[in-house]
Amino acid sequence: MASMLPLTPYQIIAPLISLLAILYVWSLVMKQKKTIWEGFLWTFFWTAIAIIALFPPVLDYLAFVMGFKDRQNALLITFLGVISFIVFAQIVRLEELEQRQTKLTRSIALRDAGLDGKHQCGGECCKR
Amino acid sequence: MRVIAVIPAYNEAGRIASVVEHTRKFVDEVVVANDGSTDDTAEVARRAGATVVSHPQNCGAGAATMTGIDAARSLGADVIVTLDADEQHDPRDIPSLLQPILGDRADFVFANRFGQKNRIPFIRRFFNAVGNLVTFATTGRWVNDSQCGFKVFGPRAVHEVALRMSGYEFCTELVREAVQHKWRIAEVPIKVLYSQYTLAKGQSFANGVKTALRILLRSFLR
Repeated sequence: MASMLPLTPYQIIAPLISLLAILYVWSLVMKQKKTIWEGFLWTFFWTAIAIIALFPPVLDYLAFVMGFKDRQNALLITFLGVISFIVFAQIVRLEELEQRQTKLTRSIALRDAGLDGKHQCGGECCKR
Repeated sequence: MRVIAVIPAYNEAGRIASVVEHTRKFVDEVVVANDGSTDDTAEVARRAGATVVSHPQNCGAGAATMTGIDAARSLGADVIVTLDADEQHDPRDIPSLLQPILGDRADFVFANRFGQKNRIPFIRRFFNAVGNLVTFATTGRWVNDSQCGFKVFGPRAVHEVALRMSGYEFCTELVREAVQHKWRIAEVPIKVLYSQYTLAKGQSFANGVKTALRILLRSFLR
């Protein structure tokens, strides 16, 4: 691991931030604010950041495996993927919020008209 | 069978009275789902004899339709007819649309504006063709006029339908519901009346693209 010596400031700071982030995530898991699945997911993500910082040649291997020409391309594509995932997650969240708002508006309309919760659906349509 | 008409309406004060009055001749009751209109749609519809449910804010045609369906269920509907508030649909077509339901040949009836000679602008035909293709791509079921608001829900569909899409995407979602619940489907040709007003209120190209993208996204998220 000749590339590890001497350590650059980035190679020291990135793993430290990763460690703190992992500790923070698991503290949220303990407080039941995040699921165990999310805990593992974020641990995987921050561990990957730390490993890439400490062992940059890992990116060469990744570039080779994924068919990229060099490590810079691999890094760029990886982060584009991460950003795409974040945008997608935000869209999903927005959709959820919009659906909640619509549900609330519809409930208010039916309640104001005195027509809420009287139909006999056997619970089927109300479950969804 | 108790037949209730559901008319989603947004800023249709000038036309809703006529639609309600004509529709009442063919059904037991009319429900107008006022989708946050800023004009007198709700009051005019009430005076015309409709039961009105009002969204405090505009949510979209799909949300208004589902609110109307919920209201109709509460009012004891066995069969629900949905139609547009802009006089595009002729309520005199309701009896022929009800036939497959009353004859127990279908659970859900789509009106088909292209099933008989109608003066439909090319741009509308094009948008509907795209809508049909997107619907087919996401549901696997071909419907000749999937985007038409004139539909009839039979007892089984009234019982099972649960729309989640707020905007015009709900037309595609209804096809999906039909496929998911294995409803028997019928298509009945209808007359359609396009006026300058109706055309001006219709969907723009940008809205059509947005709707298509939302359909694809929602189908992925489910």
